[in-house]
Amino acid sequence: MIAQTVISMLLIGVVAYAASERRRSPVVAWLSIIAAAAGLYFTWTPDHATQVAIWAGVGRGVDLILYIWVCISLIVLLNLHLKLRSQMELVTVMARMIALAEARRRFSERSALPQPVSGRAFPD
Amino acid sequence: MRVWVVIAAYNEASVIGRVINEVERRGYTIAVVDDGSSDRTAEAAAAAHVLVRHPINLGQGAALQTGIDFALERGADVIVTFDADGQHRAADIEKLIEAIRTADVDFALGSRFLGCSDRMPVSRRVLLKAATLFTQLTTRLRISDTHNGLRAMTRRGASTLRLRQNRMAHASEILSQIAASGLRYIEVPVTIEYSAYSLAKGQTVGDALMILLDLFARRLYR
Repeated sequence: MIAQTVISMLLIGVVAYAASERRRSPVVAWLSIIAAAAGLYFTWTPDHATQVAIWAGVGRGVDLILYIWVCISLIVLLNLHLKLRSQMELVTVMARMIALAEARRRFSERSALPQPVSGRAFPD
Repeated sequence: MRVWVVIAAYNEASVIGRVINEVERRGYTIAVVDDGSSDRTAEAAAAAHVLVRHPINLGQGAALQTGIDFALERGADVIVTFDADGQHRAADIEKLIEAIRTADVDFALGSRFLGCSDRMPVSRRVLLKAATLFTQLTTRLRISDTHNGLRAMTRRGASTLRLRQNRMAHASEILSQIAASGLRYIEVPVTIEYSAYSLAKGQTVGDALMILLDLFARRLYR
């Protein structure tokens, strides 16, 4: 009973985390929610977990729950990776703004734009 | 109308000067984006009309987008992207621009398979063919080459691009954004001159897998 309660609280935490992430990465959020919901169900219905485990070739219900937990961990890891990518996009925007501002400053310090050689562009 | 050539460079100090000279001889305005190089690329690129320097290394896709943004801001009518490693011929730029002018398209994409690709290793040929097939299936574009850095675009075409793939997957992203834009494109035969230097910097099977993962990961978040 104690173990079931602890695992359930952890899984509810996963659901809450996934729900908070669903706007940014809906696919990952729904995968986490589904896995956590399955984990919750099997935690409180160990007989069903054992039946499904035997059907899936895992052997024991407790192993099935363990595997679900591993899946959730991998999904959360994927989510962290996506969050890092998202942060990198923000870094890119900032770095680009800095680079362009610096280039504009250097450009304005120099004389007028070099004119393209005639004939290298479209005729007006 | 003004033609800008955007060259993204990362640690290309040994070749960037020669590449800039070849392009400049043809009279185009050159913008080099130094992508946070740790060597003397910026100094070697001093001959360029514009040097934009990323404070950190972001990747070729990010550098190209920065160069395109700058060129658009400065009133470019046609923007050409050109690799910094010396494998492109400056003479092909004229062919791309001519294609845009005469075919009334917004993108002219260089194709080494319609043109010539000297000394291309068999492994590279197989990899590129597979990548082209993948791109054809995912974008429905009728193209013969992919991940060719030599391309030209009108101002309208360049304005539709918003690259979010910082690294090598940007080449696939450009093609998918061209397909999504519905704008017209044409392929133009170009020559790629492979050297030991450019081959060493080129993509491997491992890079191709990373590109696939990047493209997949980008679909998982907003």
